[in-house]
Amino acid sequence: MKTFNPSRAGKLLGISLLLAVTACSSPDRSRDLNDATISASTTALQVCSNCHGAKGVSTSPNFPNLAAQSQPYLVKQLTAFRSHGRTDPEGFEYMWGLSSHLTDDQIKGLATYFSQLPPTAGNVDHYGTPESVGRGRVIFEQGIAAESVPACATCHGAHAEGSDQFPRLAGQHADYLVKQLNVFQNTDQRPDGVAMKVITHNLSPDNITSVAAYLETMGPAVN
Amino acid sequence: MSSIRVDRLSVNLWGALLLCLSVFTSLNASAVPAFARQTGQNCVACHAGGQFPELTPYGRMFKLTGYTIGSRTIPLSVMGVASVTKNSNSSLAGPKDGVPVFGTGSVFLAGKITDNIGIFAQGTYNNYGGDSGYQGVWGSDNFDLRFADRLIDANSDVIFGLSLNNNPTVSDVWNSAPAWIIYAPTMFGTSGPDTSPIVNGLGAQVAGITAYAMWNNLLYAEVGAYKTANGVFSFLSQGTNNAGQTKLAGSNPYVRLALNHEWGAHNVMLGVFGLNVGIHSDPLDESSPTTKYRDRGIDAQYQYLLDPHTVSAQLSYVRETTSNSIASLGASNDSNTLNALRIKGTYIYQAKYGASLSYFNTTGTTDAGLYSAISANSSPNTQGWTPEIFYMPVQNIRIGLQYYAYQKFDGATTGYNGTNNAKDNNNAFLYVWGAY
Repeated sequence: MKTFNPSRAGKLLGISLLLAVTACSSPDRSRDLNDATISASTTALQVCSNCHGAKGVSTSPNFPNLAAQSQPYLVKQLTAFRSHGRTDPEGFEYMWGLSSHLTDDQIKGLATYFSQLPPTAGNVDHYGTPESVGRGRVIFEQGIAAESVPACATCHGAHAEGSDQFPRLAGQHADYLVKQLNVFQNTDQRPDGVAMKVITHNLSPDNITSVAAYLETMGPAVN
Repeated sequence: MSSIRVDRLSVNLWGALLLCLSVFTSLNASAVPAFARQTGQNCVACHAGGQFPELTPYGRMFKLTGYTIGSRTIPLSVMGVASVTKNSNSSLAGPKDGVPVFGTGSVFLAGKITDNIGIFAQGTYNNYGGDSGYQGVWGSDNFDLRFADRLIDANSDVIFGLSLNNNPTVSDVWNSAPAWIIYAPTMFGTSGPDTSPIVNGLGAQVAGITAYAMWNNLLYAEVGAYKTANGVFSFLSQGTNNAGQTKLAGSNPYVRLALNHEWGAHNVMLGVFGLNVGIHSDPLDESSPTTKYRDRGIDAQYQYLLDPHTVSAQLSYVRETTSNSIASLGASNDSNTLNALRIKGTYIYQAKYGASLSYFNTTGTTDAGLYSAISANSSPNTQGWTPEIFYMPVQNIRIGLQYYAYQKFDGATTGYNGTNNAKDNNNAFLYVWGAY
């Protein structure tokens, strides 16, 4: 039978290690979401970057790009995650928990941080065919009058750059846009996007794919 | 510790567990284990397609940064596996063949301790353990206490840390590592080759400290050393009696390198590892001759993760060279080699419905001293397939059906031990796995 018999050397080693690692703790490198004194840039780099990228541009289309996103839109989304007001799977699976202890100031800080990052150059996923991108561009710029679908550019801006009320769409991952358009069209999981329910009502699956494919190709200043 | 005390302890612990379970249930109707409670996230955030233990890119980051993301909470979880195994040849089957059993239950101490320190520690109650195979025994299972820090800016990212663990490769973040590539094997049927490289057999026997670094999510390096988990580290080998414990000679080096790349919804890893260990032939005699094992592994993993699809594939090839000292383990040859290949592919839809297929092929030097008791031609060569289908009705319950199909066993397809054919080891394994 083995006995638990800590040696003096073992104790010394343990204490030394503990001192060493405690000395390394730093608020500049903290992953603590409960501590409102941690700066937004630290939280963004230490935690948010795992999915959204160190520059606010995500590798996986499971996660939206946040770089250059409109600050009020980001505040609204983080607040909706925190209050469980946004219930789409992409939201609650990842964001409910991470946002649960954020203060209003932390949310504002994170939103400002990401809104000030330079936007993606676009077309990272090469999602669409040239034909679908072309169809998407027509929908984005002109809408589909026969089906009462308005032009996206009307609200989201000529370059899909977004505004205080409406999110930036340019360069966003197409798969993410497709999923969100389906959420707006078929569910009530995003009450803040109730206007989009009406707008997307007549969008066919093909048209959703096309417009998402076009938006993904858009860089900071597409002519 | 006497078996009576163990039984009493287990009763008390089960009571405590049930109490915890009822408390948690009333607190949180959507049952999720400790890490998920800490981060508030779903299992799919960290586990590919929701299937434990395979990690997503985010899950790998969570582990590499020392399990410290999120808010400290009650760091306890429980897990249990109930199953029934049906062997194809009843003469090779034990008394539990075709009988539903509650096999193992685990308690996890898992979570953030400080901003830089976190723990994943598993204690497992094996209902069918002990010398007889039918005693309830508590024991240490996977243990990983780590310190981590991260230097990151917009252009560079270095995560580094230390891990105290009790199983070489348990500190790894890819599912192709030997500690993670198989889980929930049958306990009452043949679940793989009789002979495995030593890297598969050191869990809860050894204690090691490894230092690791991940640079730009591209290059991972880890070095460490393992020794026998006794003395101050004996808590890492609880449940193993002294005479039955694998005793390492001194400190034994472990090295791991991996290249990781992520693009779009895809990610791929290519890695190598090396482990050298010396093992005493007599666990009770530290001056007894040692057998020296040199394990060299190459492994790869691919994942495609885009809701509702999860595709993943793993490959692991371990080549082991053994230098036998005189009379150390009864080997006839001065040195042997053993090659273990395992390939696995998995598809999961909506993190609910899944299927996997794994292929294993072990080959090795013929050695009468080592293998004549199990193999007529003294060979460890074993080859087979394990298909599986599974269903996860909720994220922390998994129902699976595995089938183990052997084409070759211990050196032959027919009459491998003079009596049985390889396929006599075939068995079907139905299990229900749950965690809270």
